[in-house]
Amino acid sequence: MAAARPQSDPTKLPRAIRQFFALLILLLLLAALWETLKWISGDPWRPDANPFGLDHNPPYRFKIASDLNLPHLWDIFAAFGKESRRNGPPLISVLFSASLFTFREAIMGFIFGGVLGFILALIFQRYALLDRGCMPYVVASQTIPILAIAPMVIIWLKAGWVSVAVIAAYLTFFPVTINTLRGLRSPEPTAVELMASYAATRRDIMWKLRLPAALPYIFTALKISATASVVGAIIGELPSGIRDGLGGAILNFNSYYITSPSRLWAAIIASALVGILFFGLVTLAERLVLRDRQAPDPV
Amino acid sequence: MEAVPVVSFDNVDKIFNRGGADETVALKSINLDIRPSEFISIIGPSGCGKSTLLRLVGDLIAPSAGTVTVNGKEAHQARLDHDYGMVFQQPVLFDWRTIQRNVELPLEVYGFDKAERQQRARELLQMVELGGFENHRPWQLSGGMQQRVSIARALATAPKLLLMDEPFGALDEMTRERMNMELHAIWRQTDTTVIFVTHSISEAVFLSNRVIVMSARPGRIMQIVDIDLPIPRGEHTRQDPALFEAERAVREWLRKAEAFSA
Repeated sequence: MAAARPQSDPTKLPRAIRQFFALLILLLLLAALWETLKWISGDPWRPDANPFGLDHNPPYRFKIASDLNLPHLWDIFAAFGKESRRNGPPLISVLFSASLFTFREAIMGFIFGGVLGFILALIFQRYALLDRGCMPYVVASQTIPILAIAPMVIIWLKAGWVSVAVIAAYLTFFPVTINTLRGLRSPEPTAVELMASYAATRRDIMWKLRLPAALPYIFTALKISATASVVGAIIGELPSGIRDGLGGAILNFNSYYITSPSRLWAAIIASALVGILFFGLVTLAERLVLRDRQAPDPV
Repeated sequence: MEAVPVVSFDNVDKIFNRGGADETVALKSINLDIRPSEFISIIGPSGCGKSTLLRLVGDLIAPSAGTVTVNGKEAHQARLDHDYGMVFQQPVLFDWRTIQRNVELPLEVYGFDKAERQQRARELLQMVELGGFENHRPWQLSGGMQQRVSIARALATAPKLLLMDEPFGALDEMTRERMNMELHAIWRQTDTTVIFVTHSISEAVFLSNRVIVMSARPGRIMQIVDIDLPIPRGEHTRQDPALFEAERAVREWLRKAEAFSA
């Protein structure tokens, strides 16, 4: 038999702190796994090239764990501090400004996609016929690889932040449409009947019932869209020839991978951080807006 | 002198999916007048169209034949004129609103100004004995309390007609009995006409002036049982032999209704 769960356990740390520690432990475990793999099957550890001064010759040699494929974590972090090119600024400042640049594009794409996705959901909710008629095409649009669309968008709109934002929007509108539509339709039939019993207008039903009911669904979509828009922005930069963002940095460090693999890994970490930051901002907004709702989303 | 009925059914049929393979005759030849200030219960086997009857009064669905008149107007016009309040089996409270703002909802839709809304909602919450819970959220309240909020909400515009669709069906027996007492008090206090759908014989008899027993498929009015228990009713009513007699009569008609349906 399940015992009633107490309201709050004084011996437990606040949820946010527990979550933070859980994440920290997970990251440490991943790092340990990474280095263990290198310990067992990587290239030899030279005492002057690792912070522990270890001299070690791994018993196996797996290609995947070589210094080229899987650089040591300390080499990746050290790369942030080294110059990005000969006599250039340190990598961290290059990646920082690239992240900022890409983040801006992603935000624009997020806004474009979010607004478009939301409007589509409103239309589909209002006109069931359009929903049935158009939804298959909306779904189909998502099966076309973004890499095929991106060059076309750039030709139509000229290379620049607008075209990148449009490409990011292409990735972000879909989850917003699907989730918003589901949220707008989430009120139980009796709730709609209740509004009908007040002779409420369509507008009242939208503002006082459907939209508030859809908010948790919309935030779920926005969290997906936040990360997707960063991916979209990075991919959008590649065929546009934009060199100032993370896409440009990834392309650049990719071509120097043989000589310094850790710089590409550093760019990947920067990209992930931008995505996580954006996700975190949306989650924060969600907590703020939905703070009075029952059972907040655990994500 | 017969007063003008609050609700009047004139030869009403309701057929769902007419012409389809799953055509269902929910109601057949319903004729019924409900008098002002009357408390009338509708009882019958499940699927007999009790809720359908209520939804016709509220113009949430339209009759297939015949007319439903509310306050001398077409039911549709009565809905537009906000002539009734409705209470469902589930409280249907909005999670994103406080208790106070849930009660204000119909007043907002009708365009009352803020001060009036707040004043009225506070009064109603007092009446259903939920003063002090204004700023709580629906999920913080028990099922019985939530249903009291939904009754307060239905009474917000002081309608002369209250439609209740098994409002206490989801509550336990003790809570239900207490809610019956409270509803009876509210009814006497507000002078509203109440149409009350239920599947509980004791609840129907305890509350009503008349109990309508229906048969199923197609739903018809089997019998209207007059309940001549003195008003006000209370704990003493539960000991009254006349109550048992009335319950027995309703039960007998329900049996006949079920046999009739089968």
